[in-house]
Amino acid sequence: MNMQSVVSVEKVVRRFGSGTTEVVAVKDISLEVVPGEVVLIMGPSGSGKTTLLSMLGGLLRPSEGRIQIGEDDLTLMDESQLPNIRLQHIGFIFQDFNLLSALTTLDNVALVAQLTGISRKESRKKAKVLLEQLGLGQRLDFLPHKLSGGEKQRVAIARALVNKPDMILADEPTANLDSHHGRETMRLLREVAKQEKRSVVIVSHDERIKEIADRVLWLEDGEFKDMVEMAVDPVCGMSIDILHAPATADFEGTKYYFCANGCRHEFLAAPNSFLQVDHE
Amino acid sequence: MIRLAWRNLFQNTTQIALGVGGVALALLLMLAIDALLAGSEDDLVAYIEDSGADIFVSQEGVKNMHMASSAITRSDLRLAAQAEGVATVSPILYTTSVVETKEGDVLSYIIGFDPMEPLGGPREIVDGTLEIHNKEIIIDQAVARSQEVALGDVVEIFGEEFTVVGITAGLTNIVNSVSFITLRDFQDLRGDDRNVISYVLVKILPDYSAKSVAAEITARNPDVLALSEAEFSRGERQIIRDMSVEVLNIMNVSGFLIGLAVTALTLYSNTLHKRSEYGVLKAIGAKNIHLYTVVVAQAFISLMIGTVVAIGFILLLGQLLPALVPGVAVTLTASGLLRVFAASLIIGGLSALVPAFQIARLDPAEVFRG
Repeated sequence: MNMQSVVSVEKVVRRFGSGTTEVVAVKDISLEVVPGEVVLIMGPSGSGKTTLLSMLGGLLRPSEGRIQIGEDDLTLMDESQLPNIRLQHIGFIFQDFNLLSALTTLDNVALVAQLTGISRKESRKKAKVLLEQLGLGQRLDFLPHKLSGGEKQRVAIARALVNKPDMILADEPTANLDSHHGRETMRLLREVAKQEKRSVVIVSHDERIKEIADRVLWLEDGEFKDMVEMAVDPVCGMSIDILHAPATADFEGTKYYFCANGCRHEFLAAPNSFLQVDHE
Repeated sequence: MIRLAWRNLFQNTTQIALGVGGVALALLLMLAIDALLAGSEDDLVAYIEDSGADIFVSQEGVKNMHMASSAITRSDLRLAAQAEGVATVSPILYTTSVVETKEGDVLSYIIGFDPMEPLGGPREIVDGTLEIHNKEIIIDQAVARSQEVALGDVVEIFGEEFTVVGITAGLTNIVNSVSFITLRDFQDLRGDDRNVISYVLVKILPDYSAKSVAAEITARNPDVLALSEAEFSRGERQIIRDMSVEVLNIMNVSGFLIGLAVTALTLYSNTLHKRSEYGVLKAIGAKNIHLYTVVVAQAFISLMIGTVVAIGFILLLGQLLPALVPGVAVTLTASGLLRVFAASLIIGGLSALVPAFQIARLDPAEVFRG
């Protein structure tokens, strides 16, 4: 492991099933992430992104290889030790925000701090400071359903940060946000990485995140491959490797790439409807 | 975690209302029958406890009045009077019969007492007179009201007419009432040997203990059994308890099972509904014990609220029911409350088992699978 690395992944393999039904979701992957670095992992659906993210988060054990967070080797730990590692060293940000619907903004963040054993008063104080820093001082007593998508994601970011983790794992953090809130979330994640020297690993299809990433990795068939030029299928939104696009179409002088012929046919039937949606 | 449990419960007001309502109903089943029986016991022993007697002397082997028959003689009464520490002895005749009124028949204990003796008759009346003569009767207020009988009206016992001259209070229970006639009328009605009496009510001298005087009376005459008022009253209560124990058990088991089913179902559906949130908590780093705490706290919060609602309802019932249904009393007992609290604890523990199992099996990696 590089002495500077927060996360070190060495020759990790993850298999599901056995014998003839065996599927290798992640193949011999190695990765080092240093403090303050933003790493974006992209790739088509089924490429192994979620499996890799689950293993990095200590939620899934690799079949082979080693994952180390700081000094802690996750692969050597038993199940009872992993919750503490997740609580203290990893912050999670989810696509659907996944806030606790019965708790207020403040309680959603404070609860995670309280799980570490600090008092309710202290945890609420920490949560309040963090939420105010993220511009949610006027929303402390709001329930999640009263918040906008962007506000929810900021609460989720506060929750991920409240225990000062070494690494933030973000799963499609901009997928349910409009472009304005998506950019705001990206800016926040970069700030977290650069100002607080936390490693941020993002799994996403969103091309815009490339703007804030220090490194972009392309995962396909369970392996990191060279980064390729990508396009977005205007019909289903999937990221497409333009060199291996299953289908393409020209419309008003622009070339569009599709994940399958079905999407291409749908597009050609009413191209403006997809382009209008895209422009919104 | 307790805060989360509380918020989870009250997030869906319909669900908490149904859950708590169901639990309250179940616990009410357990409490109500106990409270009704306790109330009935108080009313059933009202004559004994308010009689003013320190000792009751009955036929050997007879330890109470309800559904009992006791026959002793005047010589037994004289023997009792000779025991050390006895101040007065008052004979009564007793049977269960029907008081016929214009509005219908009322089941009643008929007490025949000698107005010249200090004990045996009613101690207090709310209307009319305590000075009763032959062919006169004193009935209870609840009967008078329900049967629309007033002072001066005529009722019948064993086909003989009696004029109502006095009204007592507090001597009607869920089963029957207590009515008083003279000892002479009682003997005439039954055509009994005037030598036979049912019980002797004994007043003791100051500085004597009822228990020791009762033991002395029994020792002097093996044909009788003398019990202190407290023992005699306890025997009466026990008979009622023994008679109702099966009903009580059925209601307890029913209440327990309904409470368990309602609480378990409420918790199960709540846990299922919150499954993804529990998964998120697990992924973030909450241990199973944290999540079990939420589930168990939810169970106990809803049970405690249900218990308070049930107790409140019983107390309300205790105020309303006697006014609506004469002779029915509701008394909350410590043993009834303890039983309900114990049942709540067991229900809480058992109903949290399935949700706890659900949580234990929850894979936190599911949060990334949508």
